[in-house]
Amino acid sequence: MNALEARDLVKRYKDFEAVSGLTFDVKEGEIFALVGPNGVGKSTTLKMIATLLAPTAGSVSVFGCDVVKEACRVRELISYLPEEAGAYKNLTGREYLRFMALVFLKDGPKAEAAVVRGEDLCGLADKLKDKIKTYSKGMTRKLLIARAVMIAPRLAILDEPTSGLDIVNGYEVRKTIKRLAGEGTTFLISSHNMGEIEFLSGRIGVMNNGRMLACDTPAALKRRFSTDDLEEVFIRLTQ
Amino acid sequence: MSIFLVLVRKEVKELLTPQLVVSIAAMLFVFHVIGRSVGSHNKASASRNGVVIVDLDRSALSRRLSAALSRAECAVTHSPARDIGPALAAPEHDAESSFMLVPAGLERDLAAGRQSHVAFYSRFRKNASGLGPVMAASRTRKTLSLVSGELSSFVMERRLQGLSPGFVKDPAPAREFAVIGGRVEAVPVSHVVAFVQSQSYFFPMAVFFIIILSAQMIMTAVASEKENKTLETLLSSPIDRRMLVLSKLTASAFIAAVLSGGYMLGMRSFMSGIVGDAAPGAASSSGPALARLGLLITPSGYLMIGLSVLVCILCALAMAFILGLLAEDVKSIQAMMTPLVMVLMLSYLLPIFIDMSAANDGIKLILYAIPFTHAFLAPQNVMMGNGVQVLWGIAYQAAVFAAFVALAARLFSGEALLTLRLRFPKVR
Ligand SMILES: Nc1ncnc2c1ncn2[C@@H]1O[C@H](COP(=O)(O)OP(=O)(O)OP(=O)(O)O)[C@@H](O)[C@H]1O
Ligand SMILES: [Mg+2]
Repeated sequence: MNALEARDLVKRYKDFEAVSGLTFDVKEGEIFALVGPNGVGKSTTLKMIATLLAPTAGSVSVFGCDVVKEACRVRELISYLPEEAGAYKNLTGREYLRFMALVFLKDGPKAEAAVVRGEDLCGLADKLKDKIKTYSKGMTRKLLIARAVMIAPRLAILDEPTSGLDIVNGYEVRKTIKRLAGEGTTFLISSHNMGEIEFLSGRIGVMNNGRMLACDTPAALKRRFSTDDLEEVFIRLTQ
Repeated sequence: MSIFLVLVRKEVKELLTPQLVVSIAAMLFVFHVIGRSVGSHNKASASRNGVVIVDLDRSALSRRLSAALSRAECAVTHSPARDIGPALAAPEHDAESSFMLVPAGLERDLAAGRQSHVAFYSRFRKNASGLGPVMAASRTRKTLSLVSGELSSFVMERRLQGLSPGFVKDPAPAREFAVIGGRVEAVPVSHVVAFVQSQSYFFPMAVFFIIILSAQMIMTAVASEKENKTLETLLSSPIDRRMLVLSKLTASAFIAAVLSGGYMLGMRSFMSGIVGDAAPGAASSSGPALARLGLLITPSGYLMIGLSVLVCILCALAMAFILGLLAEDVKSIQAMMTPLVMVLMLSYLLPIFIDMSAANDGIKLILYAIPFTHAFLAPQNVMMGNGVQVLWGIAYQAAVFAAFVALAARLFSGEALLTLRLRFPKVR
């Protein structure tokens, strides 16, 4: 079964069509990356998959569950990291992880195990007992990424996961994602970092103006444009 | 621990910041201190009930006036001055503000049946403010009527031999009765009014505070989730969205209850500091009569009032929740609060200034359409034996609450939450 199937997905905001007829699949255990210039509808697509926005037309299913009709089931399978997410400022990092683990997993012991994993993944160590309002942007982002993956979701939807992170932290997050994918989690990410995409993804979907221009492995795309620079592929596709 | 409690605890942690607690505590303290100092000041100025007599008559009658004032616990000082000017200017009377000038020949004139004039001078202090001048005026009025009573007694004793002045002045003293719901009691109407007012004085204020505070709390709770971009994460979780709504309602109602409890304590010590123990005194002598009139609230009466207030708060919370959903961020809460505060003011103040039992139908309709009015009026209605109206009010408020919750839940589960925004023009 595919982890994700999007069929002719359309999203119209009042008088503007942000996504116009998107069709793609994500296989289980795969890392799939959506790329494309700013404002082409990547985040809008991810929000529809995360059950936050209702598609204007078309359909999306996550492990066979429709995101509109079976939104509750879908929410139990996914974990979504918004592109500009924040955390509760008056909680400490540890309290935040515990709260989120309980919200997503409900069950006490499972949540505790997730918190332990989260504390390890975020790499904040002693800072976890400080209030989140004292965190830097990158620290908060690391906490949020740990939050998103600690519950071991079937499908993790990460909108620009490493934006705002330094080179070392970005590298570690990428390694974590790759490791978790190896353990069975499916990832759908969006990114502007070609190096990251080349390192991570099995396949990439290049979007422009709400449409999918190409959807293949980085190697295949490079071959198609006979270059070994993914950025060149990107530029030639979107121009 | 149940997930609901987890959610409520997180809301409380986010809302009840140390800054909030400190500022509330500081306010309580300030209220208390001001109340105490104003109270002791008022007592001091009340006891400073003195009058300076400039006696140009030096007769038996003028001595009688001075004695009567002394009996009435007035600190009488005699000025040796021969006119009011020097007495006012005399440095030893600097602290005095009441002066009485007894004209020469007063006794002779009255005995002969000629009108004369006793003059009273009240000196205003340069920086007089607050209750000072009001209390000075009421002291002067008392002195004045005491003196006038003494003078007419003097005349009556001379002219109406065989009749006591007391009888002539009020030959058939009035007896007052209050009638409430068919029950009749001999009790001064002023005592009834004072009692009803004292009972319904704190109450609407408390309700007002709770509503404003809890509305603000829940708006902050909702708007800050939006502003801090935590809402999307929460909405993508498998938690039932109605539970999210409910946990926010519960947490803000809880904090509002704690805060307004604090406010009311502060207010109480403030008011009792100012008013002292004088206020209930008037009514307490008529206590049994008031009880027989059914004015003392019974436990079931309190239950009705409590219920009315509860649904009122729930209504306000549901409304505020919706307004909070529409707010762009925490800053725009002020603007979002305005319509709620306006409506609240209307239903709080109008029944104070107009008599609902005599108001015209248009005003009544508007006021009763506002769910808050029913809670504000509940104590009066219960005291006046109008329980049916209170129950109807509760039913109406509950219906409004249900409608708003339905609307809130619809808004909260739709995507409008993430795409819909009300913008306010910037206020310059
Ligand atoms: N709430 C909204 N109302 C109206 N238009 C919107 C709304 N949200 C997004 N849009 C529009 O939809 C389009 C796609 O936005 P989206 O956030 O999906 O882009 P994106 O591909 O994620 O861009 P970026 O790389 O900058 O994150 C944009 O043109 C944006 O202006
Ligand atoms: Mg985006």
